[in-house]
Formats: sequence, structure tokens, C-alpha cells
Amino acid sequence: MTFAAIAPVLVGVLATANTVLGDEALFREGVAPVLRRHCLDCHNDESSKGGLSLQSAERAFAGGESGEVIFPGDTDSSYLLDLIAPEDGSAEMPKGKEPLSEQERRTLRDWIEEGAEWPAELRLEPEAWWSFRPLELPVLPPLPDDRAAWCRTPIDRFIARGQMEHGLAPAKEADRRTLIRRLYFDLIGLPPSPEAIERFVNDPRRDAYDELVDELLASPHYGERWARHWLDVVHYGETHGYDKDKPRPNAWPYRDYVIRSFNEDKPYAQFVEEQIAGDVLYPESSDGIEALGFLAAGPWDFIGHAEVPETKIDGKIARHLDRDDMVQNVAGTFLSLTVGCAQCHDHKFDPITQQDYYGMQAVFAALDRADRAYFDDPAIERQHRLLVARRQSLSAEIGAIESLVEERGGEALADLEQQLQAVQEGPSRSPEYGYHSQIASSADNEKWVQVDLGGETAIDRVEYFPCHDDFNEIGAGFGFPVRYKIELADDAGFSENVRLLVDRTQEDFANPGITPQVASAAAQAAQFVRITATKLAPRQGDYIFALAELQVFDSHGNNVAAGQPVAALDSIEQPVRWRKSNLVDGLYPDAHHNRREQELQEQRDALLERAVGHETLARREVVRRELDDVMAAIESLPNARHVYAGTIHFGSGTFQGTGATGGKPRMISILHRGDVQRPGDAVSPGAVASLGVASRFDLSADATEGDARAALAGWLTHRENPLTWRSIVNRIWQYHFGRGLVDTPGDFGRMGELPSHPELLDWLAATFRDAGGSFKDIHRLIVTSAVYRQSSARADSAFATQGQVADDPTTNDSGNRLLWRMNRRQLEAEAVRDAILAVSGKLDPAMGGPSFQDFVIEKPEHSPHYRYSLHDPEDRRSHRRSIYRFVVRSQTQPFMTAMDCADPSMMVHKRNQTINPLQSLAMLNNGLTLVMSQHFADRVREQSSDLDEQIRFAFLAATGRRPTVEEANELRAHRAAHGLPSLCRVILNLNEFVFVD
Amino acid sequence: MSRRDFLFRSGGGLGGIALASLLQQDGLLASPPAGEGGLHHPPKAKRVVQLFMAGAASHIDLFDFKPELIKRHGQPSDFGEHVEAFQDGLGPWLRPVWDFAPYGETGKMLSEVVSPLGSVVDEIAFIHNVQGKSGVHSQATLLQSTGFDRPGFPSMGSWIVYGLGSINDNLPAYMVLPDHRGLASNGMKNWGSAFLPTQHQGTVLYPQRDPPIADLFPGQHGDFLSTESRSAAVPLVNRLNRLHREGRAGDDRLDARIKSYELAARMQLSAPEAVDVSQEPAHILRLYGLDDIPSSFPDEINTPEETAYFSKRCLVARRLLERGVRFVQIWSGNDNGFPRRNWDSHEDVRRDHGPLAQAMARGVSALIQDLKQRGLLEDTIILWTTEFGRMPSSQGGKGRDHNPYVFSNWLCGGGIKPGTTYGPSDQWGYKPLDRAHPTQVYDVHATVLHLLGIDHQRLTVRDNGIDRRLTDVHGHVIDDILA
Repeated sequence: MTFAAIAPVLVGVLATANTVLGDEALFREGVAPVLRRHCLDCHNDESSKGGLSLQSAERAFAGGESGEVIFPGDTDSSYLLDLIAPEDGSAEMPKGKEPLSEQERRTLRDWIEEGAEWPAELRLEPEAWWSFRPLELPVLPPLPDDRAAWCRTPIDRFIARGQMEHGLAPAKEADRRTLIRRLYFDLIGLPPSPEAIERFVNDPRRDAYDELVDELLASPHYGERWARHWLDVVHYGETHGYDKDKPRPNAWPYRDYVIRSFNEDKPYAQFVEEQIAGDVLYPESSDGIEALGFLAAGPWDFIGHAEVPETKIDGKIARHLDRDDMVQNVAGTFLSLTVGCAQCHDHKFDPITQQDYYGMQAVFAALDRADRAYFDDPAIERQHRLLVARRQSLSAEIGAIESLVEERGGEALADLEQQLQAVQEGPSRSPEYGYHSQIASSADNEKWVQVDLGGETAIDRVEYFPCHDDFNEIGAGFGFPVRYKIELADDAGFSENVRLLVDRTQEDFANPGITPQVASAAAQAAQFVRITATKLAPRQGDYIFALAELQVFDSHGNNVAAGQPVAALDSIEQPVRWRKSNLVDGLYPDAHHNRREQELQEQRDALLERAVGHETLARREVVRRELDDVMAAIESLPNARHVYAGTIHFGSGTFQGTGATGGKPRMISILHRGDVQRPGDAVSPGAVASLGVASRFDLSADATEGDARAALAGWLTHRENPLTWRSIVNRIWQYHFGRGLVDTPGDFGRMGELPSHPELLDWLAATFRDAGGSFKDIHRLIVTSAVYRQSSARADSAFATQGQVADDPTTNDSGNRLLWRMNRRQLEAEAVRDAILAVSGKLDPAMGGPSFQDFVIEKPEHSPHYRYSLHDPEDRRSHRRSIYRFVVRSQTQPFMTAMDCADPSMMVHKRNQTINPLQSLAMLNNGLTLVMSQHFADRVREQSSDLDEQIRFAFLAATGRRPTVEEANELRAHRAAHGLPSLCRVILNLNEFVFVD
Repeated sequence: MSRRDFLFRSGGGLGGIALASLLQQDGLLASPPAGEGGLHHPPKAKRVVQLFMAGAASHIDLFDFKPELIKRHGQPSDFGEHVEAFQDGLGPWLRPVWDFAPYGETGKMLSEVVSPLGSVVDEIAFIHNVQGKSGVHSQATLLQSTGFDRPGFPSMGSWIVYGLGSINDNLPAYMVLPDHRGLASNGMKNWGSAFLPTQHQGTVLYPQRDPPIADLFPGQHGDFLSTESRSAAVPLVNRLNRLHREGRAGDDRLDARIKSYELAARMQLSAPEAVDVSQEPAHILRLYGLDDIPSSFPDEINTPEETAYFSKRCLVARRLLERGVRFVQIWSGNDNGFPRRNWDSHEDVRRDHGPLAQAMARGVSALIQDLKQRGLLEDTIILWTTEFGRMPSSQGGKGRDHNPYVFSNWLCGGGIKPGTTYGPSDQWGYKPLDRAHPTQVYDVHATVLHLLGIDHQRLTVRDNGIDRRLTDVHGHVIDDILA
């Protein structure tokens, strides 16, 4: 049963009355609503599609690009009627939408036939969809005494009204045993202990319930429970997803931020602001940085960024998808709007234009996803901010110089650059690059590689050749050590009689490019030649040793190293490019190429000198040096923490980000049909225009990208923004009742459901907004209401016993839309897992910090394999609450997935709760259940040595009640035959364990 | 929750309830579906096998013969336009790594490396002008598996079992046989159900593992359970569940959960039997090349090892199809790591494609013949796909770069016109010959749905305000390859 079926259908009533309405009344009551509903979104004075506006008589009769569309009294000539006439179920207009109903079309036809009377002064405004209308506090509905007596809070008055109008009566209040289990799972996501249950059930105080509510809202477990709901919506994960699915070791500070914010009952406006622009609006707090994890929460295409530059089409697509994910996360999470359609065309159903959509992309146009440093010490954080600002301005200056260079250099420079690139990327370089060590995190690791000449040989000279690899734009001299030495020995271990041939370990050695290096050995005899890097070459925030070729010549001029065995301390062995044997394969970057490259570089330098002058080039050098110093100073700040966040990225190589230009936003254009190869008009930062809050941000010329985000945050949390407040209270309601007042919590647009209780939704939204946005206040209001405290059983009518007539709710509202009873809830994956740990006595309540991993990672170097089956469920580190589980995108946790946990690859506004045999298998046979069944049994044995008491305790711990005689008999029999652990496994599989009345 | 909503989420056991039967119950089908399982029109097929070559298999070295490349081998490549390569893939033209020869009555040219497919080539319809949207593995793989190039959408198999339901009571309707060495780009997202109910996702099966399906039986941590206590558990759980249900009348979920434990017990009996190929007669094992498996394999990639694993997946697939599994997805190739055990042959096509292709051809040829001799091929669709093709130019050596601009798919079985070649690529195998009319993944998906009795434009689910479908807003049935 949907609300639409209950709502009266006005149009039909009016349309049949066309003949009795006067001309003007026909327009006002018949025609105007049709135009407002179906036409004005596109055909208004502002955005008159096809040149046509239907807002006023003057404009309407003037027609559009195809001429006049309405000819009073002449239906045959009135093009408007042709446009709306459906053929095969679809009509030209309204474009892309359902055709008008027959009644509506007849109304328009009658009106034109009657002379198309439209009072000149009557201007039509587009009809706002319910959720777009201004938010005002509704008055509480009046009720008869008996209904009013049932109410405990203002919420109940709206619920009672709805029930009364449909002849329904509420259910009785649930008993305390049911209520405590409901409250525990609802507010903290854990089962009550047997002691807590007995205490509450036997508490004589009238306000025992309110006390319990306060106690649970004050529990730190509350934040853990409710943060998980939030993480579903923002599609938080701890790996990138897509190809390779690399881990994000620094995602968790955002998760902890969300938990902390709920526990501190942070005002919602601040919570929203921090997640969009915390660094700008709350600069002195860690919260302000950690919150930016929101922008980076979703999946990210590592390959599309790290291996494909923005200049390529695939790189553009990847970055478009990246911003799209940010925009959809913002609009979906805070506004409950689906805006994704507007990347190709104006939204078909909701007033969201391409301009709006790309305006939001423009807000995030400077950002990428990366680890962002921050500091707990406010003094250091301040210093950090100053340095970052300096880095930004220096980068911007360099950027400006580069543009000048580009401009003055003109085609000649571009041509040279292109030739250089062709040489650098040319296919004539052999794909067998050379030897490449494992990657180290600091430069001062020693790495060696050596060749075995097969026997003692008199060595004339050693020649060695640096590599060329464009990785990170390094090119010539890739991996060539900054300090190194060459040694000779007679044994592979270099244990004795080691002779030093080359010693460049005392100071840094300038990178030679691909110039071959030669060392004379003066006929010394040795079997092994070893090169040891004592200071590694920088790569991309890490360090390596690579070498293309090692040649050892005897006195006859023969290369005796060719094809000989090569050994190394370590090697990445990624054939065909990198492997030890490449060191002696005779292949190395060729010198002719090198010369050509050098020539081109010299020509380019000369050209630059002419183009921008020596002074500018010198200035560039100065700025570059200072920039290096600033970067080093940032690196050296003590005790840096990191969060994976939406941030300006200072990268190099393929994944550069906007750091190099000082965080200058990328140019965002409206893309024709969403195609990155067909950009249209440029767009400045903005938001959705139709919400009634100024959506073009009017930023000053020197505004930063942070200012744009701050403007968006201000727009979202604006008092008059009708969606922000409605969206969040609907979510809160949903998590309490299992269904929102609007059953499409992620879509408040025209394709979404209508609210079951629109006034209640507005009352909650306005109350929440006006009282400071406290989650805990709204929770308290909801859970202390009579509607929440109802029984979930169908037969327990509160009024039937008082002799009142009530309709049978099971036929009138079987879906319980009007909440004439409480909904029975199936526990979510996290609650099931946490409850298993809790009743087994194994739940580790430690909060926060890096996530536990209930898998073993194999092959981390390329595409990590997350092997859940190799994890030992006895591992105590994994006995923490499920919110601290490391969330992998590509390989989701099998047990949790079977239980319908949120898929971190998509925003989950509402869990898809299913029941299927694979769940049963997981509950029966997963390592966790099996291990915990035994711990549960141990815990039960500790409670009592009495067998009956053991069964009572186990059943109470799992279900919240004592077993009946019949149940106890069944349990006793199983225990006798199969033992206590087997019995505990049975109990964990009961329906009653995973459902809450 | 409405009854409809409930059935959508929890009905029908292992495969989920068919949309067809839901619509019928609600009186929303204009006429009862004709024959078995059609949703919008009478179906030609009722089962699907999707073969996925992870890493991007080279169309020009396997199926799409380009004599021009032999003629121009070694000459600098010239595409006549700017080409964006993923890596450095614009080296000289590189001839097909293997020789091609005509096979079957149709004389279709096939590479010798897939010669076992020669004996069934007259069953197959090749499409040589399939066009992708991206040369990035992850996006391209998702596009093939879900119809969208970003995560968050149901896989093709999920849509099909959602629409048609299960045709058996003992096994999941949608099963996946991944490469034993690892998952392709996007991992499980390639068989995920996204916003469709969880039971419509692919269930992973590893024939070599014990148990072959995760959590099918208690593992090492269940040693405390005797066989008797294991078999006593489910009946007791459900006796207690029935007592619990009293006084909670009208909540279908409680009944569904009771039923799901019964179905789970049935699956415990059926699944091990379905993967047990030891009962297969010698001539069948020989057909698949599984009659003489060496006890150990060399470290380098090699054909006997690839055959032992891939052909086993094909044989198990046949057993699953026989037992009423509706959609089977078979993978060849792992993530795109090193050493290459995947089709991403940037370095050396011969070395890596060779063993993979020989094993694939052997296993798939056997599967087609085996299905045919059992009368199952006529209502089973086999779809061979990969994320994109490879460039006709080399990367300077023996490898080829990504080619998302054109690649090949092929289909055979129920409703497919046998012995067809459709939609040529250009002389290089670089782009479609008719650039204005390429085949897109949407068209292939639409065609498969069509053969199953589904109008791809009408199988929709509203997710978050948008009526989603497998083919997004695209897709045309390819009439030219229909029988």
C-alpha cells in the first residue's frame, strides 16, 4: 500500500467539471495546475526551452521558436495539443516524461476551444515538489480525548491522527523485556546482558525507561552503532576498489571522527560543514581535517589516475568519474537527491540542471583523493598551515611562470617538447629495462646486485649503464644510486679479501642520465663483481636501486659478464621489464637516443632564454628551490598524522593533482551527453538552483577552492534549505523504525516515494533545525514516544480491549505504513556479528584506531588478494565491534555479505535485507560461529554447574527471555546427546536471535 | 513490508523468486509467459554460460584474421590518425603471433592456437566489431560484466536470475567459477547483485577446494561437532523456530528463514555431488583433456596446467547446467599481476596467450560438444567475452597494448545463428570497419536477454529514483546473429 493510493486524486474531479466552470475558473482550477505540474519546469521565463514560456498569457500566446502554439478557439491549429498527444504511449511533450493523462489533455483542449481565457495579470509559478517547498513548523493536529490520552510526545499526535483517519488503533505497549532488547539494539547495536534485563524488568521506578534511554545515549557504543549507519550512506571503504584494489591504511581516522561526532552529539550543521570544508571552517581542529575523509570515502580508480595522465581521454574519464562520485556523495547524503542523471542532460524528473550538476563538480575541481597530513598539536598544525599556504603560493607562482613560458614559447616550444617526448617514449627502447631492487621507504638502505663471472678472471674494466624509465617522469638515470661502491671478491658472500674498485659513498653523486660509466680495474683478478647502493635513488615518495646493464671486460676485450648468473639482495622481478638477468643481457638505453635527447633539451633551453628572458628563468629556479625547502620543512614536522581525504594533491608523474599549480581548480565545463571529449560552456562553483537558497556562490576573483567548498557547506546548512533538514530526520526515523517516513531515503525527488506523514516529517525537521540539530534530542523524542513503545505483534490492539471499533489493520494497512504496531526488525550484519561476540563473552570493547583485518593479504605488491578463509577466527584482534572491520571493496567479507552488509561500492541509504540459504550456511558453518559457540559454552559453564540453569542462561543471553518448558526440554535433550557447544550453535541460529520484536 | 516487497527480497530460496512469477501473481503480465521462464516473449534459451578472459584477449591473434598485418609486419605502424595508447603500444605492426587456417564447412579462419575450436566453429557466431569505452581494465571489465563502467550495478547474471528465477531447488541459480589463482579487476563486483537482493549474486565455486563453496560445511573449527550433532542441529533449530513463530503470525520472514535452513541442508547434499567429476566416463574426461593430468607442473606458464584447471571448470559447468543452474560464469586469468597468469600480454603474446588460449579452446570446445550431445546446447547460450582487444602494433617487442576501440565476442547455442561472422573490424583490427555502427556491449547483453525471453528495455528495477536496467539507456538486439 503506498501513500499515493490513499491520497485523493484532484485532477479527475476538476476535469469532469469542465463544463460547469466559468472560463476564468476553468483556467485557474483546470489548466493552471496542469501547466504548473507538467510544463513550467522547462518552459518558464528564465529557462524558456524552445523559446517558449508558459508563465504568463503574454509569453504563452507569443509562442516559441516554432511559432505560436495556442490559437484560441482553434484546436486544430494549436500545435500545443499535437505536442502533448501521445503516440504508442509516449508524447513529444513533456519531454522524456510520462504523457499527460487523458483528463488533463481534455482540459487543455476544452480551454482552447472555449477561447483560451488567461487573465493578463495571472502569472503562474512552477509547482514545487513537496520536498522542495519551504520548511515550516506545522501545528500539532487536534485529537479526541481518547486518542490524545495515548500520546506521550508530539510525534504521537501525528501518528494518532493518521491512524484515526484510517480507522486504525495502535497496538499495546510492549513489555519491558521486549523494550530493553529493542532499545539496546536500536541505540547501541548490542544485546542487553541477562543482568541488565533482569534489573530493568524488576525496576519499580516509573521513569526506569527514560533512565535506560539516557544511559544508552550516553554510552560510547551509541556512536559506534549510529556511525555505521552513516558510513553505509557515504559508501565508506578502506580500499580503492576498481583494478588492483589497493588498501587505504589511513581511511580509519574518518570513521573515528564519525563515531566521535555522534557520541559528542555534534550539531548537525557543524557535522555537515566539517565534511565539506572542515579545513576552512574549523581550521584549528583535527575534526576539521579528519572529516574530509567524507569526500574521499567512495571508490577511486587507481589505474585511471596513477597510470593515465589527465591529458589522455581515459585519464579525463577517470577524473570525471572521481568528481562525479564526490558530487553524488554530497547530493545523495545531505540532500537525498539523485543528481547523476544531470551529467548527461537536465534531470528528467527533478529540477536539477546540467548547470547545477557541473557547478557542484566545479566546487571540487581542485581536489583529488590522497593522504592528508595533520597534527594534534595546534601550534604545529598552525605552522603546517602556514607552510602549506606558502607551498600553495610558490606553486602558483611557478604555475604562472610555466604558463608564460608556454605562451611565449608558442608552437616552437610545443614542437620541441613533442619531439623530446617522442624520443623519451620512443619504441626503440628495448622493453627489457634492467635490474630493479625492491622498493624501500627511505634512501639510506643498502642494496646490492652482483654478477658471477664463473671463475677467476683478470678484469680490465667494468662498464655499467643507467636505466631509462618514464615512471614519475624520471626518465634517464632512473634508479641510479646517489651513493654507491663497486667491489670485487672471490666468493659470492663477499666475506673476505674484498677489493674496493669504486667508492662513491662519501658524497652524493649527480645523476648521470644514461651516460655509460666506466671503472678501470687494472687486471685485478676476481670471480664476483658487486655494485652496492649505499644511498638509494628517489622514485615516488620511495627509494630504489636500478641498473640497466653491467659489463665486465677481460684483457682481450670480451664481456665476460654477458649471460652470467646475477644475484641481488632483493629484486622486484617483474619481467619483462625488470629482472636480475636483464643486467647482463646486453640491452641498455642507447646512446644515440641520449644524444638526441640532450640536443633537444639544449635547443629548448636556448629557446626559453629567448622567450621569457634570463630573469624569469632565474626566478623560476629560485622559486623551485624555495619550494623544495618548504616541502622539506613540511616533511620534517614532527608527529604527523594522516587521513585519506579529499584534498589538494601534490603529486608527480602521472598523478600530479593540482598541487603544482597551487591548488588552482581544473576548468569544469558542461559536457555534452557527459562526454569528456565534448566540453561546452565553462561553469563556476554552485549548487542546485531550484531549492530557493542562492546557489551561485558569487566568489571573488581571488577566492580559493576552499572558499568554494565553504560556500557549498553554507548553502547545504542554510536554514532555508528545505532538503537538508528533511533528509536527515527521515534517516533517523528509518533507523528507529526500519522504514523512513519517506521510504526512499536517498531520493526525495519525483521518482521517490511520498512521505507517509508529511506533517510529522516537517515537524521533526523544523524542530531538529531550530533546536540546534541534536541527534540525541531527536532519538529521545522518538524512543520515548508511544508509537515506538508499541508491541510488534499484530493482535495486541490497545483499543480493542477497551471496546473501541477499529478496522482490521492487516487488511487496511498490512504494510504498517501508519505504524499501528512496531515493526519487527531483522538484525543487520554488524549487529548479528557483534551479538555473537557479545553473548560468547568475547567482545573486545576497545574503541578507535586502525581497523582489524579478518583476512590475510597475499600478493600485496600488485593486486592484493584478501583471503578471508585464511584468517583464524580465534584471533583476538578481530573480536572487536564490526565497525572496526577493515572494509575491502573488491572482495567483501563473505559472512557479512551473506548477511546483507552495505556494499561499499555504492551509497546504501537502506539495507537490502534478504533471507536465503547461503545465510543459513554462514550462520551454521562460518568459523566465527563455530569458534564462538565453544566460547559461549565456556561462558555458560562458568555461570553455573547446574545443567538446567546453564540452558536458561544461554537462552536468556541470546534471546532476552527464559525458555518455555517445551523449549527447555528440546534444548536439554540436544545438550545431553551432542554437548553444550553444539547446543550453543543451535541457539545462535534461532530466528529469535536475529529478530527483534 | 508489503508481500510483493517481501517476496522480492526473501522468496524463492536459492535463486530468488522469478520476477515472472511475481508479475503473474500480481496480474501484471499481459499473458502467461510462453514456455518455460520467458518474461516478455517465448524464449529460445534458458541457460547461459559466460566465459570471461581476464586481462583482455587479443582478437587478432585468436579469431579475427588480418592478412594485412602479415604483409606489413615490422613496418612502422600508421593508423592514419592520432591514437591514444594505454602504454607505449604504437610500435611496428605485429603480425598474428600464430598462423591462421580455415575450419569447418564455413571455412572460418582461426588461429592455430585455438584449433580445438575448429571442430565446433560451425556452431559459433562471431562479432568482430565490438567497441569498448575505456582502455582501463577495471572500467572495461565492469562494462562487460554489469553494463556500467563504474561499480554499483548488478551483474548480467544477477539480472537474468532476478528476471527468470531458478530452475532447480538444490543449487544456487547463478554460480561462478573464478580462476584458481585470483580474481580479475573489481573482484566480486563482476558477479555482484548490487541493489538487487543478495541471493541474486553469483555463488563462488572452486572445484579444487574443500568445501567447494564457502561455509558449505563446518571446517576445522567445527571439530567439536559429530556427524550426528550436525544433522540434528537444523531440525532442532526449526522446531524451535516454529514455536517462536506462534504468536507472531503473519510475518513471512520467519517462515522464509525456516525454509532457508531446509534448503541449505539440501544444498549440502547437492553441491559436492555436482562438482565431483570422478564419476565421469573416460571418454568424457578425454574430451576435456582431463584424462591424463600430470602430477606436477613446471613453474613457467604451460598448457597442461592451464588445461587441467580451465577444462575442469568447463566440465563442472556442464554438470551445473545439467542440474538446473541457470547462469554459469567461467573465468580464465587472474588479476593483471606478474608472472602473467592472465591475458594482459603487454610483454609477450606468444608466451602468455599461448597456454591460456590452448586450454581455453580445449575446454570450451569440449563443453560445446558435450552440451550438444546431451541436447542441452539448443537452449543454452555460450558467450565468450573479454574486457577489450589488443593493438595490431607491438609495444616495441613481442607484446601488444590495450585496444578498447575494437575487439571480438562470440556466441553459440540456443537461438544463435550457427556459423556466422558479423560486424567486421577494419584491415588492422584497430577499429570497426563501419565506425558509425559498432557493436556495443549493450547490444550483446540485449541479444542474450532477448533469447531468454526478456525485453531488455522492460526488465527494470527502480533504484534510488532511477529505473535501472542492464543496458542502461542503450542496446539493440543483433538480429543478424539470431537463428
